[in-house]
Amino acid sequence: MEGILQTFGLDWPKFISQVIIVLLVYFILSKYAFGPVLAMLEARRSRIAEGESNLKAIEAELSRAEEKVQGMLNQANLDAERLITEARESAEAVRGQKTQEAIKEAQSIIEKAREASRLEHESAMNELRRDFGRLVIDATSKVTGKVLDDGDQKRINEETAGQVAL
Amino acid sequence: MVSFATISPLLAAGGINAPAIPALGWISNSIVVAVIVTVGVLAFTRMATKRMELIPGPRQNFVEYLIEFLYGQVEGIVGKHVAPKAFPLLATVFIFILASNWFGLLPGVGTVGFGQSIGPVSVDPSFKDEAGNYTFVPLLRPATADLNMTLALAVVFMAVWFWLSIRELGVWGTLVHIFGPKGGLHGALKYMLMPIFMFVGVVEVVSIVFRPMSLSLRLLGNIFAGETLLHTMAHLGEKIGLPGWVAAISAVVFPLPFYFMEILVGALQATVFSLLCAVYIKLATTHDEEH
Repeated sequence: MEGILQTFGLDWPKFISQVIIVLLVYFILSKYAFGPVLAMLEARRSRIAEGESNLKAIEAELSRAEEKVQGMLNQANLDAERLITEARESAEAVRGQKTQEAIKEAQSIIEKAREASRLEHESAMNELRRDFGRLVIDATSKVTGKVLDDGDQKRINEETAGQVAL
Repeated sequence: MVSFATISPLLAAGGINAPAIPALGWISNSIVVAVIVTVGVLAFTRMATKRMELIPGPRQNFVEYLIEFLYGQVEGIVGKHVAPKAFPLLATVFIFILASNWFGLLPGVGTVGFGQSIGPVSVDPSFKDEAGNYTFVPLLRPATADLNMTLALAVVFMAVWFWLSIRELGVWGTLVHIFGPKGGLHGALKYMLMPIFMFVGVVEVVSIVFRPMSLSLRLLGNIFAGETLLHTMAHLGEKIGLPGWVAAISAVVFPLPFYFMEILVGALQATVFSLLCAVYIKLATTHDEEH
């Protein structure tokens, strides 16, 4: 064995120096290359896993938010429909009330007009009676040539008014 | 005159022994390359990992990709439990061997050095002294084309392998794992087959003892053979007697296809070495059913 090794060039000082070189490379690479790189790869892996987990949480949250928004939209639609129905009903009620009020007001105006007309008619009739009485007195005094006293005038007026009323 | 009778392999770097560089005492050219590769690998990884960020830059991205890929391969072989302990060594072995193998393909490695001068800037790589030894000493030689380095890699691996085995199974567990009955045998059959399992255990121990040799010689043989092939192809034109300018062109053209092959071989040998190491760890740390 020794002879074979020497034939192939084994030389102990050279061999030991090569062992030292290999050990140096081994320890330095382990400490300054493999360790930090594997730690970085692990950190990146855990960060990616964390990102994936966050993504799933965000997706779940988004799904919940979408469901919530959909629920709110549905509720808003229902509320809007209810409000529209209520507004329509309320408008109907207000319209009926206003119509009734208008009818009442119109009737009241008609009544008032009718009353005013009646009073005016009565006033005109009274005026007519007075004028007619005065005409009768003037005509009577001119025809008879007699100056009529107050008693005559009163009697003629009452008779004339009674006849006109008929 | 072209003659194929003169063709013989031109051993890379003057032979399988890694010679000491004349001006550096006992320090060999492969140690110089090992130091250069070490500094290069460490400098690059340090630059890439000095200021690590969650969103990586190109260098950090490359190192992360490489380490993540290697970790996945190691985890697939040795399992999730042992992978964190086995990965640093296996990744170091792979990266270091790959860098050393490919460094050997750079122009000048194995071809620039000291030797018998045959021109103002050239030496004769085939020149031998009276004892029959090549006198050409390249300044740089692939670290993995030297048994001292490949054996160092294998010995360091075996030390870590031994530590992992004892840590995972304990001393008694390791002995039972090697010599004990396998396949979940119970009752009389278990005791009847005990001698066979003991014998298998002895064979296993022998195979374990020879693992450093098999690992180191396989890597050395492949990389040194590759170097030798490239050297031989580079000098093929001269060897067969082609005219000067044709030989110069052939020194570039002939080795070219083999460079691509050596790129593949370099990656393949780094993979084979680290893969075998991973399998050895897997075999030693697997808990049997009855443990």
